[in-house]
Amino acid sequence: MEAPRRLLPETEDIDTRGFWEGTRQGELRLLECSSCGAILHMPSAYCHDCGSWDTRWKTISNLGRLHSWTVVHHQVHPGFPTPYTVVLVDVDDAPGARLVGYLDGAPALVCGQAMRARFEVLSDEVTLAQWDPA
Amino acid sequence: MTDEAFSHRDRCAIAGIATTDFSRNSGRSDLTLALQASLAAIDDAGLVPGDIDGIVRCDLDLVRHNDLVHGLGIGDLAYMGDVSVGGVAPCAMVGQAVAAILAGMAKNVLVFRSLNGRSGRRYGRSSATQRTVGGNNTYDEFFAPYGLLTSGQIFALIAQRHMAEFGTTENELAQIALTCRARANANPGAQMHDRQLTIDDYLESRMIASPLRLFDFCLETDGACAVVVTSAERAKDGPQRPALIRAVAQGSPRNPQPGVQFPVLMRETITTLPAKATADRLYARAGMGPDEIDVAQLYDCFSITVLLQLEDFGFCAKGEGGPFVASGAIDLGGAIPINTSGGHLSDGYVHGMSHIVEAVRQIRGTSTSQVDGAETCLVTSTPLPPGSALILRAI
Ligand SMILES: [Zn+2]
Repeated sequence: MEAPRRLLPETEDIDTRGFWEGTRQGELRLLECSSCGAILHMPSAYCHDCGSWDTRWKTISNLGRLHSWTVVHHQVHPGFPTPYTVVLVDVDDAPGARLVGYLDGAPALVCGQAMRARFEVLSDEVTLAQWDPA
Repeated sequence: MTDEAFSHRDRCAIAGIATTDFSRNSGRSDLTLALQASLAAIDDAGLVPGDIDGIVRCDLDLVRHNDLVHGLGIGDLAYMGDVSVGGVAPCAMVGQAVAAILAGMAKNVLVFRSLNGRSGRRYGRSSATQRTVGGNNTYDEFFAPYGLLTSGQIFALIAQRHMAEFGTTENELAQIALTCRARANANPGAQMHDRQLTIDDYLESRMIASPLRLFDFCLETDGACAVVVTSAERAKDGPQRPALIRAVAQGSPRNPQPGVQFPVLMRETITTLPAKATADRLYARAGMGPDEIDVAQLYDCFSITVLLQLEDFGFCAKGEGGPFVASGAIDLGGAIPINTSGGHLSDGYVHGMSHIVEAVRQIRGTSTSQVDGAETCLVTSTPLPPGSALILRAI
C-alpha cells in the first residue's frame, strides 16, 4: 500500500510560479510593483495601487511573526493525519503579506511570536516554505 | 449619495415562503426538494406556478432555471438570474429579484436554494481526489499543501486572532451556540428540536479546529427553501401579511482579495468581514441603524461568524462581541434576539436562505420564537467573500 499522499501545489501557474521558483532556490519571493513598490500578494500582473503593469519578484527575509494558528483535530484528507497545526504568518519584510505553514502536532504557540521560514523539498519541482517558531 | 437617489425602499415585498423538512438524508433529489419548496412558497403567496415569470438561483445550486421551469410547468420565463457565491448569495438573490421587478422585467420572482448538503455533496469534504492543487487564479496552491482545506479552518484562524486581539473566550463563543440551540428547542421543525445543549456539553465537545468545537459548526443539511418576491402593491392583495423589503445591499471591503475563500486570510484585517461594508450601505439605503432593528437572522456557518457580524453590523463595538453575547443581548428579550428558528447551527444549513424565511415569519408574527412586536428584521448573508444583507419590515 502506498502511503497517503499530501497535496502538492501547482507550481507553473503563470501568475504565481515566481513564488515556487524562489522556494526551489531556498528563497522567499513575493511579487512587487516596480513602479510604486506595493507588494502584490496574492500575485497579480497589475498593480491595484498605482495602475502599473510592471512587476518583479522580490526576495524577502525568512523572518515573520505569527498572526494566527489553528490545531486541526478533525481529519478531512488522508494526506493530513491529525492533529496538526496550520500557522498564518505576517512576513517581516512585506507588511500586509501573509504566508501559511504546516507544523506536526500541536506545539504551544502565541500570536505575535517570531517565526522563521524553512524550506521543505518534496520533489525536484516542489519546495514548500514552512514556518517554525524562531 | 447615489444609494439614496436610487430608492427601492419598501417598493417590493416577500409574499410567499416555504421550506421542506430539514434532515441528514432527504431521500430525494435536489430538484425534488426545490420543487416542493417552490410549489409551497407559490401557494403561500396565493399564486399558481404560471404566475411566476422570474427565477433567481444561487450559483452553487445543482438545480437550473430550466429544471424548475419544466418541473413546475411554468412555461415561458421572462427573467432568469444567477447570484454568486454560495452563502453570500441569498439576500443578494432577493435584491436581484427586486431589481428585476422595479425594472419591469418580471412581476413575481421565485428565489430558491436547494441542497442535499449532508447526504449529497458535502462542503469541506476535501478538495482531494487530485494530487496537485491550485493554479488558474484559485490560489489554492498557497493553502491546501499546508493542510488548510476547509472553511471551518479559516474561521478557526479568525477566531484565534479575535481571541488574541480582544480577549474573546470559548465561554463567550459558546453563548452563540447555546442561544441558537434554545431557539431550535422551541421550533418543532428544527433538526435539534429535541436535543438540549448545556455549557458543559459544549465545553466537553470535541475540538474540530481549535478554538472551534463541534457545536461551533453548523449542521450539514438536506433541504430547500423558497420565497416569492413581488411588488408591494401586489403583495398587499395576497393572503399573507406582506414582509416589505425595506432595503437590500451587497458589499465588499477594500482589497477583498481574489479567489473563493482562502485568500481572505491576506486581508488587512481578518477579524472584520465584508459585513462591515455591506452594513454601512444597507443602513444608508434603509434610512435605519442598528437601534431600529428588532430581530436579526445572522449567517451562522460558525459561531464566530455571528460574533463578527454583531460587531460589523453595529450592535456592539469592534472587539466587544464576546462580552455582548455573554450579556444575554442575543437572547429573546435581549437587545437583538438572533436566529429565532435555531439558525444554521441548530435548525439547518440551507446556505442563508432559511434565514430569509425565518425573517418573514417574524414580520408575520408566526415564528416559534416570536419577538413581541417585531416590525423590522435584519437578514445577513455575509460570510467570507463579498456579502449581502437585507432588512424586512411590517406594513
Ligand atoms: Zn504600483
